Amino acid sequence: MSSAHAVSSTAFPTATGIPNGKLGMWLFLASEVMFFSGLLGAYIVLRTSNPSWPGHEGHLNVLMGTINTLVLITSSVTIVLSLAASQRGALSVARAWLLATNLLGLSFLTIKGVEYSAKFAHHILPSTNIFWSCYFTLTGFHGLHVLGGIVFNFIVLGRMGNPTRWSVQAHRLELAGLYWHFVDIVWIFLFPLLYLI
Amino acid sequence: MDRPHPNYLLIGIWLAGLMLLGVLLSEVSGHGLPLPRWGTVALILALSTIKATLIALYYMHLKMDRRLLAFVALAPLLLVSLALCVIFSSRFVHL
Repeated sequence: MSSAHAVSSTAFPTATGIPNGKLGMWLFLASEVMFFSGLLGAYIVLRTSNPSWPGHEGHLNVLMGTINTLVLITSSVTIVLSLAASQRGALSVARAWLLATNLLGLSFLTIKGVEYSAKFAHHILPSTNIFWSCYFTLTGFHGLHVLGGIVFNFIVLGRMGNPTRWSVQAHRLELAGLYWHFVDIVWIFLFPLLYLI
Repeated sequence: MDRPHPNYLLIGIWLAGLMLLGVLLSEVSGHGLPLPRWGTVALILALSTIKATLIALYYMHLKMDRRLLAFVALAPLLLVSLALCVIFSSRFVHL
């Protein structure tokens, strides 16, 4: 933990010793774990109930999925580098890394959009069968979370424009990072479950 | 408390490497890999769990943060484990 991080953790004394925003974000992420667990649990039940799942109709492009996973992992690296730069006071470097994170997030959504459009072109829709219902539900909700993360990151990026104001709002980058890493973790489980297994 | 940051780039390389290993396992599964299908599935999911743990510990700073946050993070995982036990003991699931 850097000294800057230590300062941000103790600047707002709380009963738990953890800033309220950070504790709130972790509690929110805990509720999000339950949300995705419900979806994944339903998927596992349906998947294991059918030995031939997903069959010939359920072909996904592993290469595109792999590239998307690499994109999301790289974005996790860039956002944590942005936080590290912010903590050592290198605000312009932090902005550049956060902007890179958002560009990678947008790339992820673009690739996912290309995958979706290829499926739609073959008349594959959520109503086609239960596999595609699961696929579009799981990846759709995850994509919405990525979009939410990008919006959050852009708001934080906008606030980094004013160094004086940023000095009291720097903890928001850590919150944005926590959310972004969570979205990455969800994909780390979605990718093998949908594309590899 | 002034501790150095972990090597974020190195952790990222590990994450990418473990992901590619999972893809490789999936591709060679059934083509000479001396592992039953359930073994490959377990291995791929274990790799995902390792990746998620690396992210939580180092990128989300659970390793360096207060213990309370680790409990907050682990509480839903315990509930998920219970839910998975119920799911896999269900008569609807055939492994």
